[in-house]
Amino acid sequence: MNHASREHLGWLLDVYLRPDGTLVGWLLNDDGQHHLLAWDFPVTIYLEGSPTHLRQVWRTLTDPNLHKARVVRQDIYGHSHTLLALTAPSPGQAQALYHHLQRTFPHLDAYDADLPLGVQVMVRTGVPLLGRCRFRHDGQHLLEINSLASPWDLDPPLPPLRLLRLYPDRDPTLAPPQVLHLEFATYHYRLPLRPLRPFLINLQAIWARCDPDLILSDHGDAWFFPFLQQAAPQFNPNRDPTLGVQFRRERTLFAYGQVLYRAPQAHLCGRWHIDRRNAVLFSEIGLDGVFELARVTGLGVQDAARKSPGAGITALQMQTALRERILVPVAKPEAETPRTLPHLIAHDRGGLIYQPLLGVHTQVAEIDFTSMYPAIMVNANISPETLGHPDAPPGLIPRTLQPLLHKRLALKRWLQSLPPQDCRVPTLRARQTALKWLLVVCFGYLGYKNARFGRVESHEAVTARSRELLLQAKALAEDLGFTVLHMYVDSLFVHHPDAHTPDALTPLLEAIERQTGIPVALEGIYRWLVFPPARRHPSLAVANRYFGVFTDGRIKARGIALRRHDTPPFVAQTQAALLHLLAQAEHPTQRVADAWDWVAQQIARLQRHEVDVADLRMAVKLSRSPSAYRHPGPAAWAAWQLEAQGTAPRPGMRLGFWFTRQGIRVTPPAPDEVDYDRYARLVWRAAAEILEPLTPLPPNRQPRLPLLGRRSPIQCAQVAPSACKALTSC
Amino acid sequence: MGRTVPTITQTLNETEALLQRFRRTLRRGDQILLDDLLASAHRHIAAIAETQALLPFEGALLAILLEQARRLAQLEQRLSDLEQAWSAHEPREP
Repeated sequence: MNHASREHLGWLLDVYLRPDGTLVGWLLNDDGQHHLLAWDFPVTIYLEGSPTHLRQVWRTLTDPNLHKARVVRQDIYGHSHTLLALTAPSPGQAQALYHHLQRTFPHLDAYDADLPLGVQVMVRTGVPLLGRCRFRHDGQHLLEINSLASPWDLDPPLPPLRLLRLYPDRDPTLAPPQVLHLEFATYHYRLPLRPLRPFLINLQAIWARCDPDLILSDHGDAWFFPFLQQAAPQFNPNRDPTLGVQFRRERTLFAYGQVLYRAPQAHLCGRWHIDRRNAVLFSEIGLDGVFELARVTGLGVQDAARKSPGAGITALQMQTALRERILVPVAKPEAETPRTLPHLIAHDRGGLIYQPLLGVHTQVAEIDFTSMYPAIMVNANISPETLGHPDAPPGLIPRTLQPLLHKRLALKRWLQSLPPQDCRVPTLRARQTALKWLLVVCFGYLGYKNARFGRVESHEAVTARSRELLLQAKALAEDLGFTVLHMYVDSLFVHHPDAHTPDALTPLLEAIERQTGIPVALEGIYRWLVFPPARRHPSLAVANRYFGVFTDGRIKARGIALRRHDTPPFVAQTQAALLHLLAQAEHPTQRVADAWDWVAQQIARLQRHEVDVADLRMAVKLSRSPSAYRHPGPAAWAAWQLEAQGTAPRPGMRLGFWFTRQGIRVTPPAPDEVDYDRYARLVWRAAAEILEPLTPLPPNRQPRLPLLGRRSPIQCAQVAPSACKALTSC
Repeated sequence: MGRTVPTITQTLNETEALLQRFRRTLRRGDQILLDDLLASAHRHIAAIAETQALLPFEGALLAILLEQARRLAQLEQRLSDLEQAWSAHEPREP
């Protein structure tokens, strides 16, 4: 051992690149000291093409630090490829080399050229990000690192992190903030932004005192860090002094049939920055879920928070491929094979959706297949390379998914064994939800046109198998005397007049599990469940649109106003309160009269201007650029107004606005300017969505305002926004 | 999924749009009956999809027939129940 070197136990928190291309490991030892250590980490990329082109590349590259070799490697299908292997001394140099060759020799195919740093580190050293490790260093360089953890550990210890919360006093997209709030441990600092000099002095003092590892912000990406760079370019919020804030550009993309907007990003080095408002799924999985994603996928914490779960599942597939020395293509290597129309009609289909039976139902059991699609991929060995080979060994996709599936099931079982008030429940729930999202998207990525290891036929094989399994489950339920009310991809809603308890459902659950080989779980038994009518025809119900109350009092709703993002909080809270009111009754029709009165009271509150203007804010997504609207709706008017104010709305952005008597307004109006009649109509429509299936509407389709005052006011709990949110995520 | 091929719901909606001129020519009462018939096909979307037919409207017609048969069976059952109830209360000849 080198005498100058020191050894520590600790955590590997992150890896990043310095401008010279060197890899840096950010490590925290058990004494609480942070180390930013240069890491000797050579990286190999592979090129394939005609011998002439490869010979040209060989001759062009004369850097003595670059190692060149001719190698033979296999792809996912087991085909051998003769390749030019180029080993650069650092990941940064390998990246620069790849980009140079891409421009100079665009006809060459590249492999292993764009792997995330965390993935490469994880595969080569076995140390997961946020994982325990033993490391040796000389103060500047990381000399050795050994893993003491696995990404599949069920209860990994978390490093002690210093967390700083940071948020402005108002939404910067609506008005310039005046004050910055900073929260660290039990301290709360309130810094006025003007005058600038004292603000910056105070900020630097707090930054130095807190020395945060993680900055959790609101509007940090789009507002705070750009503002800070402009106001104080000399102030470096990083722990690594050799690097400034790493800004990434905003972008708009089209995915899952939606236009999505990703705001610009501000990444730090030697610290983490997460903007809660620009982090995918953060409201659902929180920090615990983000850490779980980083630990399992190898994406850094800042990327894991901001990227979609699709990037996570791709990283996991890359890990499997790298470990097994399978080539990872930069672009999808092959196009879809041509097929006949009858073949497409037979196979190009999704999950089975069985139209619900309209109306109010009692004693309904909801049965869900647990992680149905990933379980099908693992059980039936569905992977691009195993299609058409029933006896093939497990493919790359099942090998990737198996540990993920096992970990999620183990976390779920652990959760079920804990009482609801146990302090570990929120953390475990967040972690298993994060893994759930990885499993959810892994199916979609089989058919995604840009997926590295995707093939649409394997995607179709999964849906075909799922339809078959759901039909088998339906037949079993009917054999046992159940009526199947609704089926939706991986869940069944069944009714039996005698099935009041979970025990009564056990024979059915066991029969389904035995027959299909996939675990099923009883989501619950509804005391009552309503499938409301479709707008297009009153005799039709709509798939996956329902609301009901479980026997334990939980409320579940899908497809109604409170689940939609564009519904103003006041309308969503009114609808949620209505559901809570109906949930008190054994049968929902028993409280319908009270419910109508509650609606009347809410409308009367609106008419008396008693509702907070903030609770009336609409939020719609801009589906195209403002100039592309030919028949402008509220979103277009809001966008044009923002443009006039100097803000450039981008497609995919969610715009907030209010209905006022003068039209759409993007800034909060005064209470007497609000168009309360418009909001009353929204409340009425949301109430009718719930109450119409339970009772005919009043003949003139007007709110029963005359009832107001006839009876004593209905004691209906005001639903707090948090409760409303909990209901939507039920 | 309907990634390349339109879903059965989309196909039925398109067929219904094509039938609009036919519907328009009907009397108001018949229009309501036609709407009910077409709506009844939507209750069996999953089954129509399973036929994997090039012309899914054939499956839709079968679904409409099925719904008619179900209503007929319900009415027959109701008639039979009423007849039984009537015969139970009918005064017998001495």
